[in-house]
Amino acid sequence: MDQLLQYVITGLSVGMVYALIALGFVLIWKSSSVANLALGQIVLMSAWFNYSMFVEHGLPIYLAFVLVIMFALMLGWVIERFALRPLIAQPILSLIAVTLGIGYFLDGLITFIWPASTAGFGNNPIFPNDVIHIGPAIISQQYIWVIGIGLLVFILLTLFFRYHKMGVAMRATADDQMAVQACGIPVTRVFSTSWMLACVVAAIGGVLISSIGGISHGLADTGLKAFSVVILGGLDSFGGALIAGPLIGLAESLAGGYISIENWGGIRDVVPFIIIIIVMVIKPFGLFGEKRIERI
Amino acid sequence: MSLPCGTRNYNYAQDMAIFRTRTHWVMLIVFLIILFVMPPLFFNRLWLNTFNSIGITIIAALGLNILVGYCGQLSIGHVGFIAVGAYTSAILTSHFGVPFLVSLLCAGVISGLIGIIFGLPSVRVKGFYLAITTIAAQFIIVWIISHWGLTGGYNGMSVPYASIGGLVFDSPAKQFYLVMVIVLLAVFFAKNLTRTKVGRAFIAIRDNDLAAEVMGVNTSQYKLLAFFIGCFFAGIAGSLLAHTTYSLSVEQFSFNESILYVGMIIIGGLGTTIGPIFGAAIFRILQKVLLPVYMVPWLENTITGLPAGFASGLAPMVFGLVIVLFLILEPRGLAHRWALFKAAYRLWPFSY
Repeated sequence: MDQLLQYVITGLSVGMVYALIALGFVLIWKSSSVANLALGQIVLMSAWFNYSMFVEHGLPIYLAFVLVIMFALMLGWVIERFALRPLIAQPILSLIAVTLGIGYFLDGLITFIWPASTAGFGNNPIFPNDVIHIGPAIISQQYIWVIGIGLLVFILLTLFFRYHKMGVAMRATADDQMAVQACGIPVTRVFSTSWMLACVVAAIGGVLISSIGGISHGLADTGLKAFSVVILGGLDSFGGALIAGPLIGLAESLAGGYISIENWGGIRDVVPFIIIIIVMVIKPFGLFGEKRIERI
Repeated sequence: MSLPCGTRNYNYAQDMAIFRTRTHWVMLIVFLIILFVMPPLFFNRLWLNTFNSIGITIIAALGLNILVGYCGQLSIGHVGFIAVGAYTSAILTSHFGVPFLVSLLCAGVISGLIGIIFGLPSVRVKGFYLAITTIAAQFIIVWIISHWGLTGGYNGMSVPYASIGGLVFDSPAKQFYLVMVIVLLAVFFAKNLTRTKVGRAFIAIRDNDLAAEVMGVNTSQYKLLAFFIGCFFAGIAGSLLAHTTYSLSVEQFSFNESILYVGMIIIGGLGTTIGPIFGAAIFRILQKVLLPVYMVPWLENTITGLPAGFASGLAPMVFGLVIVLFLILEPRGLAHRWALFKAAYRLWPFSY
């Protein structure tokens, strides 16, 4: 029982991070229908950036965090301005391929700057890792922090979309791009903002997930796993991402904990992908996704 | 524009001919002679291995091009299907003693069937959804391979060299002939496939699948057929890869390789037969010769104080940059440039 509770809490907190990264995806997909497949690399890069600010330069964590967010804003702006802007209104293959190319480039850049393949925060963790007792389970405090910050970011984003002028403009763009342009809202700035926001959300996800398990190149695959969240929740649904994220995290953590047939190590890493295939066959548009009707 | 100056077609056979004039035939034969005589005589082992790798890559890229470039079904997990072919062939020959040519075909067919399984969602979804499905396919396939006893798991397995009858292809020069013959067959098949009813159905589905369905094309059947053919090519390429490299491990089939394949067909030019050839040649030469043998030592000698990750980080950066720049500056790929060049030299020096 205590083991189960432990798996549930770790699953939920990792799932919360997946939900954040998925949110980054949904942001861009909704505003500009670009599928961002470079998310994993953005996550990895900001985790490394945070590591280098926090551990290598010895800055206090809140300062490092602010720097990471500024870095993510800049990264998002650069990617949108120089790679995506020239490709507006291109076929979806080009848009997917260009983000793959960006991901590949960032991959090289990360190896270039941080050649070490793994790094841990060791005895200097981002969040205090004293254990706490929830009923019979003993859980590191970090997981609670991750869940809390994840929820906080989600609430902030919801408020932004609800009340901020730019947030409203972004929702409108998602709805009808032509009408928005006719109203005089600069669509390119909406795209730019959505990329910057998405990168910030992904960067926060990167910092959170690296605070749990350290940094390794496997973090880049976290971006790919977040796609299973997007697929399960529906490509254009924020709420879907928030619900599907913890679900995927739970499935992963429970599978990793309980399916221990001989030779089946690492099953947790493919569980999200198996879920993708299942969702694709049963309900391709996800739990909360909008079903598209096509016209010729 | 597609015909040399002064040439007219008077019957259907002439209209359909790929090699239309005598000059075409002479150039083809000269090219084939150069292709088969030059490399083993004038190039060293490194280049020969690169040529073999290019040949194998061309086969797989042709398959991906049929799937993505002609039929418009996005697949980013192509390397997964290459892995299926490679391991099928390796297991058949080393555990069951099946002759090479049979296992080559089996690799293609099994890879194609697996492709159909993972292509099933294409009947209902397209675009990004399909791309994600194929990514998932790649990860699932690689996971199964690395956890299945028969494949040797993470330790990899050793594979006998390809042999036909008593002839064993155990050196790069011998393998070069084997690979190039199969490449020629594959190019011939791919080129002609796209001129048949099937190819035209693929193009109709790519341009607008709803319209194609309305016009009486059985879209689901043709989509699955495209998956079968694309993955069949991948399987053949995988089998050749297994039997020319002697040892096989899952690390050869990484997700980044899949991205590279998508990059190849984009740089070469989607929906052309010559495109994958250009793309494969450029990427493999960059990856195997130009960057590690020439560029990296040169840069390390000229610029001091390079970071430690320079050597391993340069290749992905260059590839990523090439893909992004091509998409922005020349989305129709090198095949388009090649067509422009052909048109220009046919008219030269009187360009009007």
